[in-house]
Amino acid sequence: MVERVQDSPLKKPQKARESSRKFLHLIPMIVVALAFVGVWELVFRLRIVQPTFLFPGPAAVANSLYDLWKQQVLFPAIGRTLARLGVGFLISLVLGSILAFLMVHFATFGKGIQPYVLGLQTFPSIAWVPLSLIWFGFSEAALLFVTIVGSLFSITVSFADALRTVPPVYLRAARNMGSDGMDLILRVTVPAALPHLISAMKVGWSFAWRSLIGAEVVFASVGLGSLLSQGRENIHYEQVMGIMIAILAIGVLVDRVLFSRTHEWASRRRGLIPSR
Amino acid sequence: MKGAALKLVMVGKQFKGKAGRLEVLRDINLEIAEGEFVTIVGASGGGKSTLLNIVAGLEEPTTGWVEVDGHRVHKPGPDRIVVFQDGAVFPWLDVWQNIEFGLRVAGVPRAERAARVGEYLKMVQLEKFPRARMHELSGGMKQRVALARALVLKPRVLLMDEPFAALDVQTREEMQSVVQDLWLRSGTTTLFVTHDVREAAVLGSRIIVLSQRPGTVSAVLTNSAPRPRTLEDPGVLEQIRRSNEILKAEVQWSNESKTPL
Repeated sequence: MVERVQDSPLKKPQKARESSRKFLHLIPMIVVALAFVGVWELVFRLRIVQPTFLFPGPAAVANSLYDLWKQQVLFPAIGRTLARLGVGFLISLVLGSILAFLMVHFATFGKGIQPYVLGLQTFPSIAWVPLSLIWFGFSEAALLFVTIVGSLFSITVSFADALRTVPPVYLRAARNMGSDGMDLILRVTVPAALPHLISAMKVGWSFAWRSLIGAEVVFASVGLGSLLSQGRENIHYEQVMGIMIAILAIGVLVDRVLFSRTHEWASRRRGLIPSR
Repeated sequence: MKGAALKLVMVGKQFKGKAGRLEVLRDINLEIAEGEFVTIVGASGGGKSTLLNIVAGLEEPTTGWVEVDGHRVHKPGPDRIVVFQDGAVFPWLDVWQNIEFGLRVAGVPRAERAARVGEYLKMVQLEKFPRARMHELSGGMKQRVALARALVLKPRVLLMDEPFAALDVQTREEMQSVVQDLWLRSGTTTLFVTHDVREAAVLGSRIIVLSQRPGTVSAVLTNSAPRPRTLEDPGVLEQIRRSNEILKAEVQWSNESKTPL
């Protein structure tokens, strides 16, 4: 890493090797997906589940997704759901950071509130739906509310835990060099806790995602959850399974692209995991 | 006294513990002249670190006060920079960014920052590793980063809290000569705390021997051996012998006086 100049002629083949290694990395994942589809097809062909219309095969499900896409239903629904998720998750992150910071900074407040926050974290998000409907009616606000309360407490708890991992000696050293208040938080607390904060966000997003889809199933509004219940009502079982697969795919994708990668990056540059 | 960069007046510290009050420091009076290198030596757990934290403004004294250039110290400030035992270098930053930290906090303009960081990087002989991350460095290199990070702020007083205690013997001796060289070049007023009598003797122009529980100044030795010094210099060896004697007597005395009646 010191003699940058020396390894520059090697750079190109190394890059090629790196990208092929990244692809190799994906092979187990792809094999599992193919195996899943294979077993599914097998169960479908052997007619194990009776009556057969309850259990459509992979081809029919793919076809139904394709139809939804052609009717320009699929992507608008995904877009709306992801937009709600984005807004709700963002609000949860902001509120969660504030709450977590207060809990860590004011220890007595933290002690008082911690059991309730923990309790609310385990509270099923779907149980918020009736109250949300009473307060906001069938509106975007109601869906956002469920997404936020479904993820806020998990984010608060794990953010507070992350902040507590920051070694006090870093804070003392930084204060000694003149950093204080907001400057100290942004320059030291957040970067020091970053790998833990990213893990916390990852868990928080999964809470938000589950809450939102759950609420959407109940609500009749454009979105992935509504496509699920619509499929059931219209006896389009292919659609139900297709949308479930779409939900799963989005979950895997967001986790890998957004969180796993940033977590790896944050950990690697601090030597928490060996560099490749 | 004129020319005292750092002055401690009747500094005492008590902690409230489960077993009542614990007095760790009592009536510490100390004046350190501009450009002086003073070492404080005492047994582990003897309140040396507490004393340094009080000077740094990270802890409040129970009695007495600390003055820098005649002004009382109430909170931490970049005029008194501490090098901690484990360096406390920041693992999310690289070598360059670590040294730059205090300058950024102070809002020093970019060009001046670059010039100063470059200068101190060279001074601690890390100019080949500006982009290295902390986990890639040895213990000695981390302490060089911590030293550069402190000195780049041109503090009035440099405070060192057993900075080499966790290093192996060779690295420790090497770092001692690095510190001595830096001091000879920069002339920064330095207060260096250690439990290692040899370290105290090789570095200090004055050696303060601290007694144990409560910590009081039990002897002040002047060490005028020529610099740069090594552990083999006769003047240094003599100081080591004398400090050891005092510390031994101190331990004996405190053991006897603390025997239950």
